[in-house]
Amino acid sequence: MDSRIIASNLADLYKKAADKYESLPAFATRKTALEWEHVTFRELYERGRELSAGLIELGVEAREHVGLFSDNRYEWMLADYGIQMSGAVNTPRGADVTDDELIYIINHARIRVAFVENDALQKKIARLRPELPELQEIILMSPKSEPLKGVSAMQEVMAIGALQLEKGDKRVDERMEGIRPDDLFTLIYTSGTTGKPKGVMLTHSNMMSQMSVIPIELQCTDRVLSILPIWHIFERVFEVYTISCGACNYYTSIRTLGEDLQNVEPTFMGSAPRLWESLHQRILDNVRAAHPVRRALFHIAYFLGHYYQESIFYLTDNDLQLKPQSQIKRTIFKAGHLIRLLILVPWYGFFNAAVLESVRKSAGGSIKATVSGGGALPIEIDKFFNYIGIPVLEGYGMTETCPVIAVRTEDRLVNGTVGPPVPDTEVRIVDLETEEVLFPNKKYPNEGRGKRGEIWVRGPQVMKGYYREPEITKTVLREGGWLRTGDLGMMTFNDSLKILGRSKSTIVLSNGENLEPEPIEMQLRQSRYIEQCMVVGQDQKYVGALIVPRIDAFSEEGIKADSLKELSDHPKVNKIIREEIRTMMVRTGGFKRFEQVREFRLLPKPFKVGDEVTNLFKLKRHVIEKKYEKTIQEMFSAKELKM
Amino acid sequence: MEFDTQLLYAIDEALLGIMILIIMFGMGASLTTDDFKAVARRSRGVLIGFMSQFGAMPLVALGLAIILDLDPAFAIALILIGCLPGGTTSNMFTYFSRGSVALSISMTTASTIMALFMMPILLGLYTTGFTQQLSEALFAAGEAGEFVIPTKNIIISLVLVLVPVAGGMVLRRFSPGWAKTAEDTAGFMAIIVILFLLGTLFIRHGDILIRTPWQLYFSAISLGLAGFFFGFWVSRLFGLQPIFQRAISLETGIQNGPVSFAIILLSFADTPVRDQMLWLAILYSAFIVMTSSFITLYYRKKGRFDWEVYRNTVVHNRLFGENYVTHYPDGFLPPRIAHDPSQGTSPSQKR
Repeated sequence: MDSRIIASNLADLYKKAADKYESLPAFATRKTALEWEHVTFRELYERGRELSAGLIELGVEAREHVGLFSDNRYEWMLADYGIQMSGAVNTPRGADVTDDELIYIINHARIRVAFVENDALQKKIARLRPELPELQEIILMSPKSEPLKGVSAMQEVMAIGALQLEKGDKRVDERMEGIRPDDLFTLIYTSGTTGKPKGVMLTHSNMMSQMSVIPIELQCTDRVLSILPIWHIFERVFEVYTISCGACNYYTSIRTLGEDLQNVEPTFMGSAPRLWESLHQRILDNVRAAHPVRRALFHIAYFLGHYYQESIFYLTDNDLQLKPQSQIKRTIFKAGHLIRLLILVPWYGFFNAAVLESVRKSAGGSIKATVSGGGALPIEIDKFFNYIGIPVLEGYGMTETCPVIAVRTEDRLVNGTVGPPVPDTEVRIVDLETEEVLFPNKKYPNEGRGKRGEIWVRGPQVMKGYYREPEITKTVLREGGWLRTGDLGMMTFNDSLKILGRSKSTIVLSNGENLEPEPIEMQLRQSRYIEQCMVVGQDQKYVGALIVPRIDAFSEEGIKADSLKELSDHPKVNKIIREEIRTMMVRTGGFKRFEQVREFRLLPKPFKVGDEVTNLFKLKRHVIEKKYEKTIQEMFSAKELKM
Repeated sequence: MEFDTQLLYAIDEALLGIMILIIMFGMGASLTTDDFKAVARRSRGVLIGFMSQFGAMPLVALGLAIILDLDPAFAIALILIGCLPGGTTSNMFTYFSRGSVALSISMTTASTIMALFMMPILLGLYTTGFTQQLSEALFAAGEAGEFVIPTKNIIISLVLVLVPVAGGMVLRRFSPGWAKTAEDTAGFMAIIVILFLLGTLFIRHGDILIRTPWQLYFSAISLGLAGFFFGFWVSRLFGLQPIFQRAISLETGIQNGPVSFAIILLSFADTPVRDQMLWLAILYSAFIVMTSSFITLYYRKKGRFDWEVYRNTVVHNRLFGENYVTHYPDGFLPPRIAHDPSQGTSPSQKR
């Protein structure tokens, strides 16, 4: 029952959604655990129209960049409605935007009108005003704070607009008609893991292409729990997709997530790996705290789930196929899997019903599918959710591709990959040095499947370029519309894309061995003692790690510490971590000798969002390396002395 | 079909006894006093379920026994099974078939109590012809005495079965954590014991499965299926919403097997007749797990849409206030749900 709206641009989609879904709830925000406020599709559209008329009256031109500095809230969406309907472009950023970023973005994007979320932000921008020569209008979104002098309240702008509409002002309709598919709908500045922010120009047709290729079916009865920052394209596309399907978005936060999962009973959730990691941890903690009988039942159920699902994957050709396999061998193996499946089914059936269902209930119980994006999902967590019966559709994309390039679908649920490329999208695997196309290339057996290289992509979702950065654009956007993603990957033998790390984060040891830090970090983060970590070792003899230990885990062990500083000086903690690293590295057995972490340092402070990690918890390696330069130097020299 | 050797040995009976104890205890552990109060609140659904459970189901059993011309002992056993109350298994299947678990629990609670009165009355009503046949057969075999339904014993065993249920409820009251464990263990135990019994019977009597006439298999399988069918249509005729139809359907078809073991073991004298009755009860218990699994999968698929509407209404009422009514686009809801002011959430609303 696919009921998504197909429109020609974002403003058109908003209009069609209001016409089709009228008084269904579109967005809901939490007031208390069991008291939520909602706004209907019609209300949102009509209020958005007023805001749009108000913005036009303020002098906002078509295709002008309007700043939008705010975290997730209903007014964000309202502001977006207003901006899109006046034919303008928004330049979004979270409320935690730093002074430098604010100045850079507003000046670089030549923003004249900016929305700010709250009192703190309007004060910040007022303080920076001397450095923002082109900024003319500031609009305060939160109805709870008083606007400063020279700042207008959003309500006021809407009142102005309402008056205009009453007078028969037709400019909003004209603006909406004037939007071309090639016009921008947003200009997103990526914090990026390297260098200064770059403004990614995304068009209405980029966005609309995503609406038709998302392989998840939602309808009016679905509930989507939103937790990622809305100004990030991954979240934004899913919120717009939710609108197009007539489902309702419920805004939650890390703090209230556990409660909201139970009360909202979401049917769909899109989030970053970080959330799945914490959910996984929470489930395991519950199991650990449970009664021994129930714990045993869970382990039996998980065991059965594991072998049942693996057989299903094999039989449906959705196993991870990194090497070519002969048809005969597969047929024989399939027969074996079929027998195993038949033996397991009754047992799995019972344990699935009696045990796994209650585990699934801790995630609200109604989840049909989940999407993970914005970073690599550790394979153990990926498998865990699949085994307990919550299919995780891991996707792959970047801001530059608005964002989805590939995503698993319910029929193509290959663990350890990000699924097949979405429709209308071409993917190439290109040799990093020679830029030779490795896949698809008839010269190689199996057209080059299984060969590693950089992922290049071409399709309707690829950005127009970086705003006012033609030189950088040229290095990324190649002839024929191919975009270099900067990620390493390969195509599996069942045509799913496997990501192997960033081509830029590759560490080269002094002996010339290359290694990807992400898989090692992912493995280390599986430990309950390790909160965050970063692997280093460029030009060194061996691999080292910077580790932020988890205070709670140690206090459970009886080692009480008030701060990470105290913990990192504790000799016993160091000993436990050393032992833990060893077991974590041995556990999968997938690491080569030179990839083993030989030395580590415990950090006195956690990585902070915005400073050391991006909003999606990607490490900003150069920032961390610079900050802990001395620690890293000391770590590698200490070992040499000992030797 | 006669049994030349004893069907169950003392050890098996002891095992069955323990299983019944654990299962009924587990059932109690899943109940609270609120469930009893809820019976009154859902009176319409429970009443319709009652008609289907104690009205349609025993008649189906009687009809099957007559049409298939079953041996009197089997016929009595079949009718006995037809008159049983529902058990906790049906609650689990209802959950997975996207039916109303609340109604299923209310029906289980109500029927377990009602069985105290209904079972003796119904058995007396429907089994007269068969007991006469049995008495004649006994007489012909030269044995003295008359076969009568031991009504008093049945009531006593029903009361005895309720003791562990009460025990479970007490546990639930004081330690919900342990109660949850007891509930899970009970479900698992039931399957293990049934499989174990089937296995040992098969090994011991070898040809028992072959010697069993097809009529017996047919009646054991179709009693449950007919229960699902009538439960579904009776509730549909009364205009109940789909999620309640599914609950009543499963609750009607899935009887409390352990109670039948308890009644047969405790109330009837240790004779070949008792073995025959037990055998049918075992067959029924084994097949009902399979048939209800398939029915559940079917309902689950079929009921997906109205379940999603139902859950959405429940969540909207929870978050936006009890009086909130969700307005879907025209034509989105099928007329059946669209015309119901509660959008499929209440069984007490008429269409």
